[in-house]
Amino acid sequence: MSLLDVRNVTHTYDTGTGRPVLHNVDLSTQEGEIVALVGESGCGKTTLGRLIAGLHEPSSGSISFEGSDIAGLKGKRRKDWRRRVQMVHQDPYGSLNPGLTIGSTLAPGMLRHKLANRRTVQAEMIKLLQQVGLDATPVFLQRYPHQLSGGQRQRVSIARAISLQPKLIVADEVTSMLDVSMRVAILDLLLSFQRDRGIGFVFISHDFGVVRYFAQGGRIAVMFYGHIVEEGPVEELIKTPSHPYTHMLLQAIPVPDPVLVRKRDAEGGGSERLTGDPSTKGCVFSNRCPLVRDVCRKEAPPLIDIGSGHRTACFFSDEIPPLKHLTADEASPQPTRS
Amino acid sequence: MNSVNSVTTDDRTLLEIDDLTVAFGDGAGSVRAVENVALSVAAGEIYALVGESGCGKSTLAYSMLQIVPPPGRVIGGNVRFRGRDLVTMSKRELNALRGAELAMVFQGAMNAFNPVVTIGTQVDHILQAHPEVFPDPKEGRQHFEHLLELVQLPPKRIWKSFESQLSGGMKQRVAIAVALLLRPSVVILDEPTTALDVLNQRLVIDILKDLHRDLGVTIVFVTHDLAVVAEVATRVAVMYAGRLVETGTVEEIFKAERRHPYVEALINAIPSVLDAGLTVQPIGGAVPNLADLPAGCRFAPRCRLAEDLCRHTEPPLLGDGGGHLVACHVVNRDVVPMEVSKA
Ligand SMILES: Nc1ncnc2c1ncn2[C@@H]1O[C@H](COP(=O)(O)OP(=O)(O)OP(=O)(O)O)[C@@H](O)[C@H]1O
Ligand SMILES: Nc1ncnc2c1ncn2[C@@H]1O[C@H](COP(=O)(O)OP(=O)(O)O)[C@@H](O)[C@H]1O
Ligand code: SF4
Ligand code: SF4
Ligand SMILES: [Mg+2]
Ligand SMILES: [Mg+2]
Repeated sequence: MSLLDVRNVTHTYDTGTGRPVLHNVDLSTQEGEIVALVGESGCGKTTLGRLIAGLHEPSSGSISFEGSDIAGLKGKRRKDWRRRVQMVHQDPYGSLNPGLTIGSTLAPGMLRHKLANRRTVQAEMIKLLQQVGLDATPVFLQRYPHQLSGGQRQRVSIARAISLQPKLIVADEVTSMLDVSMRVAILDLLLSFQRDRGIGFVFISHDFGVVRYFAQGGRIAVMFYGHIVEEGPVEELIKTPSHPYTHMLLQAIPVPDPVLVRKRDAEGGGSERLTGDPSTKGCVFSNRCPLVRDVCRKEAPPLIDIGSGHRTACFFSDEIPPLKHLTADEASPQPTRS
Repeated sequence: MNSVNSVTTDDRTLLEIDDLTVAFGDGAGSVRAVENVALSVAAGEIYALVGESGCGKSTLAYSMLQIVPPPGRVIGGNVRFRGRDLVTMSKRELNALRGAELAMVFQGAMNAFNPVVTIGTQVDHILQAHPEVFPDPKEGRQHFEHLLELVQLPPKRIWKSFESQLSGGMKQRVAIAVALLLRPSVVILDEPTTALDVLNQRLVIDILKDLHRDLGVTIVFVTHDLAVVAEVATRVAVMYAGRLVETGTVEEIFKAERRHPYVEALINAIPSVLDAGLTVQPIGGAVPNLADLPAGCRFAPRCRLAEDLCRHTEPPLLGDGGGHLVACHVVNRDVVPMEVSKA
């Protein structure tokens, strides 16, 4: 049984433009699995994450958790599901209440779900601080968010999520507001919870470097304006992208090596049509696609399996060129992650 | 002894910073966000200021326009633009330089626009305030339209837009176009790609290169992301806890042979799509509190090469004959100290 099943979900915000921000989205995750959602700003990643975490209800379609449609959950089972799916947000500044101390941020959830009582809650919170690599002292619990750095705030948000012993965490751009130098430490922290407690992740990011590091062994779903256009195993999708949009995203990544930068620029394939609205007719990507043909403007390509669970929605997926600058050094043996 | 960084005042030098120290606050509570920094930016360069949050990059960038926010102030050194010292310059002279010669794009392009007036009206206001640049405002408007095309935005639509109608990526690009309106020789950008998605980052990277090529504008930009540095910069200065720790061409900075341990740590910390991130190493610890700096090398508590010497003596910034300077005892062990910066 899947841990999470998103089935044919379409969502339109009441206050929005009236156009759906998610179109017929299908996505499943297994227990302890990492699924990354990738796509440009505004493509609907956070919206999907919020639906999965139960913060909004989808306009149509269904979301099931451990086999039960969440729309039908009542009473204790509803409360249980609420606890077992947690969300960690992008903005470590905005997601903590500035008027609450760290202690008052962490305690209520554990008390509400009876994971601690008045006598034990302080000790439990100190344990949590230690688990997320913060200063595990009563003094720290008395501090306010504004007294912490961005990285420390993000650790507090993570502590709040894991304090409820979830099965699934929706992690929405958790490192994008942090300095590059702090990102890996936060990712490692989250990975330790996946490894040690079997927590599954829906990991939202527009940064393929971060995704490749975090979601090894997992899957990536690439979204374009509310449509999943490609989905597959992490390594395969990065090495052999099978949708022109995935190729465009990978090609855009800044490369931390001036020699490779020059190599890539010499290969050409510049940055035309990095922006542009989705097409309402035919293939949603056709306005921007370098491979577009007549058929793409008439018919929408279905999301089909091209082998080993790799799906793509493109009529010409076998014509996507390889990303030479990204794959040139793959021959060298790679050390394993500790 | 000569300061290597201040001797190169050839015709191409536009901005020259010499032994600059900027402090926030007075007396016991004061911290030096920038300390004894020397660097020079030549015409036609794309100069990157790099380091983690809190290392003094923005403060250094602001001091290039003398807009360090109070209680910050320059307590030593000079900032020269085409040979004229901005630190001692009158307010009137400074105002004439800002915008028209030296322009700034602030981090996140936030607060850059008035939310209740269209972009077009705001551009008209700038043109009216500087009749010396465009005596005919129509010409100024045309120039702005051209700039919007260069930053890949539709001129007609943007002219009528309010800030709230633009996405983050669009706002950043409009802010770049506005900064270039009065044809400055230097534009300074604080974290121009931070918080943008990967396509908007790529767009800004390409646009900076285009502007540099097509308009010949000299660019100084601040970033914490060495991947963006590798993409755009020609020359780089790396800051750590207020100090310059390495400067050189972009090739020199990335070359492994002679590299400051901090720069190496920053490069290794990037989760890169190139190698499955398997070799990524987080930098342990954090930038020290400027009010409570460690003795000796400021990077020593986080440095894998630190030795006893590092913990009591601050390393000088040394060259190897060229313009590539590194402040590290271990890296400079074999360098004959013929050129020493004013440390
Ligand atoms: N509460 C809301 N009301 C109306 N429209 C919304 C709301 N939240 C998001 N939207 C719209 O839905 C679309 C998808 O937004 P969403 O935040 O899910 O994107 P995202 O992929 O997470 O983007 P980013 O990378 O910028 O976080 C956008 O067009 C956005 O403007
Ligand atoms: N307005 C201010 N008042 C007091 N301290 C400041 C102010 N602005 C910056 N600082 C301090 O100066 C140091 C450098 O900051 P900044 O130049 O913003 O660094 P960066 O841009 O590298 O993140 C930090 O220790 C910061 O706390
Ligand atoms: S179906 Fe056509 S337009 Fe759509 S992504 Fe494939 S080639 Fe491009
Ligand atoms: S001087 Fe010492 S502590 Fe400082 S960077 Fe060099 S080796 Fe490391
Ligand atoms: Mg989002
Ligand atoms: Mg800054």
